[in-house]
Order: sequence, then structure tokens, then C-alpha cells
Amino acid sequence: MKHLISLEINGELHEIALEPYATLLQVLREELGLLGTKKGCDSGGCGCCTVLLDGLAVYSCMVFAAAAQGRKITSIEGISENGKLDPLQESFIQSGAVQCGFCTCGMILAAKAFLSTARSPSDQDIRQSISGNLCRCTGYHKIVDAIRMASVNR
Amino acid sequence: MSKMNVVGNRVLRTDAHDKVTGGKGYTVNVRLPGMLQGKLLRSPYPHARILRIDGSRAEKLPGVKAVLTTPDVPQIKYHPVYFAPSTAASMIKDMLILSDTVRFAGEPVAAVAATHAEIAEEALDLIHVEYEPLPAVFSPEEAMKPGATQIYEHATNNVAMNPAFSFGDLQRGFAEADYVFENTYETQRVHTCYMEPRVCVVDSDGQGNLTVWSSTQHIFGLREKLAFALGIPVSNVRVVKPTYIGGGFGGKLDMGYIEPIAALLSIKAGRPVRIEQTRYEDFITTARNPVKMHLKTGVKKDGTFIARYAKSILDTGAHTTHGAVVLMVHGFFGFLLPYRCPNSKWEGMTVYTNNIIGGGFRGYGAPQAAFAVESQIDEICEQLKFDPIEFRLKNAHTEGEQHPFDPNFKLSSYRFEECLTRGAEEFGWSKRRSAGSANGTKKRGIGFACQPLWVSGCVGFPDIYEHSGAIVKLNVDGTVNLAIATVDMGCGQNTVLSQIAAEELGVPLSAVKVSYADTDTVPFDAPSHASRVTYSTGNAVKAAAGSAKKRVFEVAGGLLNAAPGDLELLNSRVQVKGSPENGLSLQDVVKRAESPCVNMVPDGMQRTPLEEKGTIMGFASLAPTSNPSPAAVQFVEVEVDTETGEVKVLRVVYAHDIGKVINPPGAEGQVEGGFQQGLGYALMENLVFDQSSGACLSADFLNYKMPTAMEMPADIKCVFVESEEPSGPFGAKSLAEPCLIVPAPAIANAIYNAIGVRVRELPITPEKILAGLGKL
Repeated sequence: MKHLISLEINGELHEIALEPYATLLQVLREELGLLGTKKGCDSGGCGCCTVLLDGLAVYSCMVFAAAAQGRKITSIEGISENGKLDPLQESFIQSGAVQCGFCTCGMILAAKAFLSTARSPSDQDIRQSISGNLCRCTGYHKIVDAIRMASVNR
Repeated sequence: MSKMNVVGNRVLRTDAHDKVTGGKGYTVNVRLPGMLQGKLLRSPYPHARILRIDGSRAEKLPGVKAVLTTPDVPQIKYHPVYFAPSTAASMIKDMLILSDTVRFAGEPVAAVAATHAEIAEEALDLIHVEYEPLPAVFSPEEAMKPGATQIYEHATNNVAMNPAFSFGDLQRGFAEADYVFENTYETQRVHTCYMEPRVCVVDSDGQGNLTVWSSTQHIFGLREKLAFALGIPVSNVRVVKPTYIGGGFGGKLDMGYIEPIAALLSIKAGRPVRIEQTRYEDFITTARNPVKMHLKTGVKKDGTFIARYAKSILDTGAHTTHGAVVLMVHGFFGFLLPYRCPNSKWEGMTVYTNNIIGGGFRGYGAPQAAFAVESQIDEICEQLKFDPIEFRLKNAHTEGEQHPFDPNFKLSSYRFEECLTRGAEEFGWSKRRSAGSANGTKKRGIGFACQPLWVSGCVGFPDIYEHSGAIVKLNVDGTVNLAIATVDMGCGQNTVLSQIAAEELGVPLSAVKVSYADTDTVPFDAPSHASRVTYSTGNAVKAAAGSAKKRVFEVAGGLLNAAPGDLELLNSRVQVKGSPENGLSLQDVVKRAESPCVNMVPDGMQRTPLEEKGTIMGFASLAPTSNPSPAAVQFVEVEVDTETGEVKVLRVVYAHDIGKVINPPGAEGQVEGGFQQGLGYALMENLVFDQSSGACLSADFLNYKMPTAMEMPADIKCVFVESEEPSGPFGAKSLAEPCLIVPAPAIANAIYNAIGVRVRELPITPEKILAGLGKL
């Protein structure tokens, strides 16, 4: 049976009727059309669906939507303001960190959560921070470059 | 070559902004009004006959709009591989969309389309299937034994094909050899791990026409395969090109089960049907074929090959799919051609088993061969005390030589030697110590491997599509639309091809936009595969842009009072060669061609000449001349923990002659990403199956381990030896596949250098290291 729940996504409140088993990923993609969050495996293995929950990176396929009530949810659509890209989005473009791009939004959000607490991370710290996000195209090299660039330039 | 303005610059990808802000262009995002969700029922048995199947209870479930079982499906045997036509004699047609015999655990037996995915899944449980389980066989060697279960009537002893090729006199060669080496090498089944799952939407118009969206590497291949399997004309199928796909690596180089099933469900339901594979379904429907390769190599005292023999057994699983061509690429381009040898023979076997089907994967059959060949060369050098660089050079082809596969073509640009010497210098190869001499429990070692010659596509195989096409259209604002069938699967094809168009037309990269395309509107192109797009499609784009430029000069010639042949296009300006002040902006020329019949000039109205009118467009559809070979060398340093067996790769130097580098960061990205896939192949990745049920035990990313950022070395250097290929667009050749062909043997050779243990079976796990050290 569906229940009415209320979710704060990218600063906007949404009331949605949901089955209790609906995941946050399903809500973002199928109910709200926020297609920037990708479903790569739906089993907590790839990180393509990473979003921020109160600023922390989570796999949205592993979070029941109902459990996200009362928390601030940020998807890739919520990190650029007035058309101005987030510094990480900019550094991913500049560093050539994007290839097929399917992991990119999840990577950017994982890195954003990481940089919010890490002041001057080492490359090893950066690698650790995205080790829950798989990429098959880039070998991660330019992704690490991009995160370092965003960290140094702030 | 004259100075270039766009080609060779470090440019930003044209699709990066879109992708960092969400990426609208993936097929997973396609939504149509009234769209249904399809799901497939899959066999739990690896080999069984279906005695009875009943979908009537599923049909009654509210929300279910169509159920598909075998009687609803045309029983047309097809092969799913995009790059060869369905009629190709060399391709084995052994698949049915749904069959009454299942040959691997997970083969589809029925399908449902419903208003919601959850309803479709629930309906699958209501389909009643009665199976008669048949004996199953999972090892190619077992499958070839007399008395083994026969998977097909057409394949005696389950051998789908067994080609053999030879030249020279092998027996005499071995008789003349001073040393003979024999070893067997084995590789495992790995997955491409594209991040965007296979997904499609098919919309039937009720009049026999289908529109198809699919995460595919080849829109024309999908059109042809789908039409063939459904028994309808190709013109009834329109495949819309995805703006980009979320990775492919060869894993989307064949029609899946989902496209024909979605088509039939859509025809039955009268509504568009979407099927998105789960990750489990992705893992069990494509893989790199495992190969067991036996090598016998005769060497002269001077370090030259005198006789080479190899026998390869390839496990093709339940259907041939790519297994026939993978075997040929493996034999020819992995074994026979990379090095010279006067007496050579290779024979191969593609063997059916009840394992999952194989697919394409970057490098096709070559990584399996390179692991064997490059490992054995190091074993030979170690025993005979040859320098491994000199040994390879002594046996390699050289620049200017005739192409070993295409007698009408020369290796005009071929800098293998320079790749070796520059790579060795950059890496510090001269500091190599003898094998196993490092102190301590964590031992470091260095090694390298080569793909001296790489030929994948473009060499004129009789049955394989090679031609490419492009349409270039100029706009009144001076911009350019480029329409191509080529799918950008992440490698940056759109960026590189836009650079080529921009360079030819003398406009900035930002002026070129890759347009919408579908199979109705653009010329054919062979798939995005086989390291061919930059070379083959690049030449078509250059020719199409050149043809548009010719028209620009014709129109501008009248305005500038100059012969078209005296004009040039630079910085979006058409000007007379030698007197750049005499010129016009490209915009003005296009405006002139697009203007109405009369033009306002200061003196009043003036008719524009008819011959200057008409949209300025260029078109090309052409076949590549041949395949100019790149050359690849990779050096690696590893650290082996002799207590745990763990191997870490510390640094990599990759030297590659790819001709002119069109976009350096894109090329580096290919190398770095290729190494990630090669590292996984060498050390970690393995699809594991239950040996009684055939069920895949590693069909998710928690159990299938591919390298994360933590396993990748931080230190990867790319050395590009920029030769200039006369037949390539602006001197370019190709890059993609060798990046993944060389890492596994390079790592195996470095491990040997570290601990003196030779592992001949991939992946090189800690268990194998410890066993080699006598600790297990």
C-alpha cells in the first residue's frame, strides 16, 4: 500500500505517494524525473547512484525513500546554482575526467561530500574517497586530477 | 604536414558539460508516453528442453499488457554480431529469440510487458514452465570428448569451428631450431563492465514499422539484426542513435535478447516497451571468451624465431555469438602476425559448452594471445639469456615493410622500435635486476609486454562491414552540423571527429555540432569497435568536410573573382591564397548560398546567380584503404608481498605509435582506462560459476572485483610516438584496443622479475602467487 511521504530534494519539498519498499533512487529517477542519478547496478556495488544525504555520500539504491524523510537530499541537479557549475563539475570538465560519463555524477557527489570535510587531502585520501565508485573508462587518473584541482582552487 | 589549428590541441570534450550536469543523452533516460516495462523469465537450468509453457495466468494479472512465449516468436535462426551481415557465410546462426531448448542458466524462455516493472516481475512468477533437464557440460575439453552431451546437432563433439592456418614448413622449422619451448597458458572469463546497463525501448506503429532506442555500439547493425530475426525488411526498422552510451568496450557489439523481445512485446501490446537489464542480466549475457593456448616455439641461436605453432581452445558457451571471430582475431592478430617467423602454424577451436554466451571485448581475442606470446618470449629470453627488448626487435616487422595481412599496403608509419627505446628510457628499464633478487618480504620487479602490430578492423575481411560515412552541413551563422552514425561510447569519438571536421573546414571546434542521427537519415558506418573510428570514420568526416569546402570555394569564387582552386579556408574566413586581405567570412559565403532569389545591395535589388544557391553540404561514404598498424609497448613495476601473495602495480609507462594524436587528453584517457581493464584482467577479475548448475556466482559488483581507484597505480605515463600515417586523417592511426592487450603479460613478466615465479593462468591471484612460492 502506498504511503504519502515528504522529501526535501535540492532545497525543494516534494510530497510523494510511495510503496514502502521504494528506494530513494527509484523516487529520484522514476517519480521526479531527476535522471542525473544513474542506476548502474541497483545493489550497492557501483556508486553511479551516489547522492548526498545531509551532506554525506550515500548509494541512493541502498536507501529506502521513507528513511530519507526529514533529511536534506542533494542530487547532481542541485549542486549548480543559477547555471553556475559547482567547482567540481568545472574541474571534471577541465581535467578530462569524463569519458562515457555514466559514473560521473556519482563521482562528483562522492568527491563533494569528501571535500566538505577534507581540507588538503593527499592523492591517496582522494583515491580512498572515491573507492566506492566504479569507473570503467578513465582508470580514475584524471578523476583524481579533477578532485585535486577542485580542492586546491577553493 | 602544415600547422594545424584544432587537430593535436588539448581540447575539452564536447559532451563533458552535459555529462557533469546529469547527462540527458543516455538510452536509460528515454521515456515515451504509454511506455510499458518488459521483464524476461530466465531458465534456472543450464541445459533443458521445454516441454510445456503456459503464460495464461500471467496474462490475467492486472497491469500486464503482453506475454511472450516460444509460439509467439518467429523461429528464425540468427547471429547477433553487428559487424557482419546476417547472410555472412562465416557467421554461425545458432540463436533464436526464444527457443524450446535452453543452453545456459539464465537463457530467456518468456517475457512480459506491464505498466510497471514490479507487475511485470510478479507476472513472471505466474508463467508455468515444465523443463526436461538435459546433461550439461561446462569445460571445452570435456565437451569435445566422445559421449559428451551434444549441445547442437550441427556441431560434432561440440566444435563450432576449427580453423587452421599455416605458412612455411613447420616440421623443417622445428628441425632447424636450436631450442624449442612448449608452454600452455590459460585465460579466464571476464566482463566488460560498461556502467550503463543494456537497455532498449521499442515502439511499434501497428503498421509493421518499429522505432528503436538502444544503448548500442552500432545502429545499423541493430537495424539489420533485428529485421532479420523478426523476418521483416530493414526499412521497417528505424534505430535512433543514442547521443552517447554509458560505455560499451565491445559488450554492446551484438543484438541482445532484449531488443527483439521488446519489439515483439510492443507489436503485441500496441504500446512502446522498455527493457532495462539488471546488472545480473548484464553479467550473464556477454563476456570475454576464455582461451587455453598451447605454444610451441622454435628459436635459433641468434634469437630469431624459426618455427611457431599454437593451438587455441576457446570456450564460446551456449551460442557462438562472437566466438568464431574472436578466435580468428586471436589466431591471426594475436599470434601469427605480430612477429615475423618463416614457419608458422596456428589452429583453433571454438567449442560449445553450457556456459554463458560470450561477447565482444576490447582487443577481441588478442589479450588471450598476448598473455601467452609475451609471457613465453620472456621465458625464452630468461632461459637463453637474451635481452628481451633486442629479442623482440629482432623478430618484429619494420617500417616500410609490406603489411603482413594486406599485400597491397605498406607499413608506411610504424615506429615499434622507437616505442621500445623511448618507453624503456622513460621507465628506467636499464636498472632491471635479475629475477627474484630483491630483498625483504615485499619484492619489487619490472617487466614489459608489447603488441608490436595491431590489426583489428579495416583489412578487408570478406564478411565484415568496414565503410564509413558522414554528412556535413554548413549554417548561416558559420557553424557546422556533423551527422554520423558512429556512436560515442565514451572514447570521445564525437570530439575527435568534430576536431577533424573543424580542421578541414578551418573553423574552431566550438563551431561543430554533432547532430541527431538515425538509420533513416545518415549514411552507414561500421560499428564503434576494432580501434577503427578515428581512422575510418575520421577519413569519411574529413572527406565530407572537404566536399563541403569545395562548394564553399565555388560560391566564394564568384564573389571574390577568384578561381576556387586559389582559395583557402582559415579561421572561418575564405581568402585568396597569398593575399589574405582578399577574403570573406565563411558566414557571408553560406548566407549568399542560402539567400533568397534577390539580394539587397546598396544600389537596390540584385538577383543572385542561381549557381551560387543551395545549402552547402558535404557527403562521403567510403571504405578504408587498409589498417595502418599502431604499435604498443607497456612497462610496469610491481610489488609482490611474498607473505600474502598480494600484487600491487606501482607505476606504468606506456609507449604507443598511434600516428598523429588528434586529442591528447582523450588519448591519455584511453590508455589509463585500458590499463584499469588490463589490471583487472591480470590480477582480479573472474566470472565464477557453480560447477553443477552453471549459475553465475559473481554476477554483481560485490563479488566481481574490478579495480577501484585504490588498486590503480598513481603513476601512469603515456608516451605517444607520433608517426604520420599517410592514409589516415591528418596522419592519425588508432589506439583503443592495444591499451588493454598488453597489461596482463607486462604484469605477469614483472611478477616473474620480482619473485622468480611464472604464473601461466589468469587472473594471477594471491593464491597462485603463494602456490608458486611453495607456501600453499
